[in-house]
Amino acid sequence: MSLSARDVTKRFGGLTALAKVSLELKPGEVHGLIGPNGSGKTTLLNLLSGYYRPDGGMIAIDETDISDATVQKRAGFGVARTFQKPRLLPTLSVLDNAMLGGWRDARAGFLSTAFCLPQVKADELALRSRAEELLHGVGLSHAINRRANLLEHAEQRFLEIARGLAQRPRFILLDEPAGGLTPAEIEHLGAVIRVMRESGVGVLLVEHHTDFVFRISDRVTTLDVGAVIKRGTPDEVKRDPEVIRVYLGA
Amino acid sequence: MHLPKKSISILVVLAALIALPWWAGDLYKLHLAALICAYWVLIGGLNLVVGYSGQLSIGHVGLLAIGSYCFAILAGTHGVHPALAIAASGALCALCGLLLGLPSLRLPGFYFAMATLAFALIVTEITLAQGTLTGGGVGLAVPGFAPPFDTPRGTYWLILAIAVLVTWLTWNVARHTWGRGLVAVRDSAVTAQAVGVPVFRAKLTVFVFSGFTAGVAGALFAVLQSYITPDTFVFDLGLFFFVCIIIGGRGHILGPAIGTIVLTALPEMVAPLAKLGNFFYGLLLLAVVLLVPEGIGRVFELLIERFRPRRGESHVVKPDLDRLAKAIEQGRAQ
Repeated sequence: MSLSARDVTKRFGGLTALAKVSLELKPGEVHGLIGPNGSGKTTLLNLLSGYYRPDGGMIAIDETDISDATVQKRAGFGVARTFQKPRLLPTLSVLDNAMLGGWRDARAGFLSTAFCLPQVKADELALRSRAEELLHGVGLSHAINRRANLLEHAEQRFLEIARGLAQRPRFILLDEPAGGLTPAEIEHLGAVIRVMRESGVGVLLVEHHTDFVFRISDRVTTLDVGAVIKRGTPDEVKRDPEVIRVYLGA
Repeated sequence: MHLPKKSISILVVLAALIALPWWAGDLYKLHLAALICAYWVLIGGLNLVVGYSGQLSIGHVGLLAIGSYCFAILAGTHGVHPALAIAASGALCALCGLLLGLPSLRLPGFYFAMATLAFALIVTEITLAQGTLTGGGVGLAVPGFAPPFDTPRGTYWLILAIAVLVTWLTWNVARHTWGRGLVAVRDSAVTAQAVGVPVFRAKLTVFVFSGFTAGVAGALFAVLQSYITPDTFVFDLGLFFFVCIIIGGRGHILGPAIGTIVLTALPEMVAPLAKLGNFFYGLLLLAVVLLVPEGIGRVFELLIERFRPRRGESHVVKPDLDRLAKAIEQGRAQ
């Protein structure tokens, strides 16, 4: 079981953002995706999560082609993601933001909800306890009932992760989760990511903090100008002359 | 401690509203209260569209007109039982909502507003043109409700009951998963997609629901007017509904309800304001948008927060990894 991009090409007008890029994300692994600005990391993430359609190649879960599946359908296949700039609902509470992740598990339709049928109550209780546990888990116990617009940057990042996990994903795609965090917070993030891996979730980590990526990833893929220049274990990638030349520097 | 207080205040307000015929004083004020409730039936449903899912419909007056004419034609011209006619008005307007929403809800905000505006204008033209059905410019007489709701008090109680029902329905939608999904559609469509909210279908669903309540409101409104012409449904009325929600605050139910009461009652109760008419609305709208852009509802929230003891505002993130592992594994086992 895996989420994969196979020889994926993506063009924006005359610009080829990705050319025949492949990447496989397995459950229970942390896969780092690094590369200079403009190398196509976020484009690949948007292709995997369904915001873009590939111009060539395909996105697949196991052997099923999901290139044309909408973002919503992919959420149904167990793909969750966070955003480079956290996208929360500022007027809702932290708990409500996390519970939003459980949208797909709420079985009650609009009319059942309007008439508050028993199923609605049951859904609500189950979602609430799941969201609360996750919020305690990622370290937001202190802010559960706070309005999301009152959160500081790090709290927003962790809340996005909790919302993603509330989707009960098989794969979670993290877009620069360490951006703007203090070293201590990055340690917490690392611990949270390890727990996700041990629970069998596949984690794709798009990140600029290369130390962090090398420390925590099982495998690393390096992109440059829309093409894969090296993939392998952190040690292999770290020592690759091409990676050092275009990205890490001597 | 908190919940019972809330239920008690709801019961007190409900009792006061039911007892209104005895303390309102005169029949005019009772009529005004019934009119506010009829407006609220529409605005309550529209609130899910404008306040929660963020779709700026300014043309609901068109749906109100269709509901009113449907009721007047069925109950008046054809002698259908009023209860049935009310339901038919709601159903017809839900269908109109569906037909209007299908093409227009895909448009970005401003263009959607224009589409609803165009719809309202078309409805007015149709009511004028279809003279044999609607009485054209002359209009139609509207029969009252069936006994026991044919007295002023009975009429008020019936409309109040429907208004309370609509409030309950929208409140249920707002506080559960659907409400969060709608707010996501309003504040961040990208997030809504990411968690699996079918954005267009969610918008369409609440729009159809708002069509139904607008149709029912039209029937109630027609009875209160007792005679309707195309001029009854001026475009200003559509703006008025919209403004009630904006002044009340998006993402609230109580705020827009208060907005509806204040904007309907104030010009009637305070004679000098009546002369100012639209100027008064404009001034109030300007004041709210400049001073409390989140509306009256937010003011209430801020007041409540004021009186709550403030805990030390910690911002330290401290994961509890065992708990996290358990929560994730539980989720995956489901």
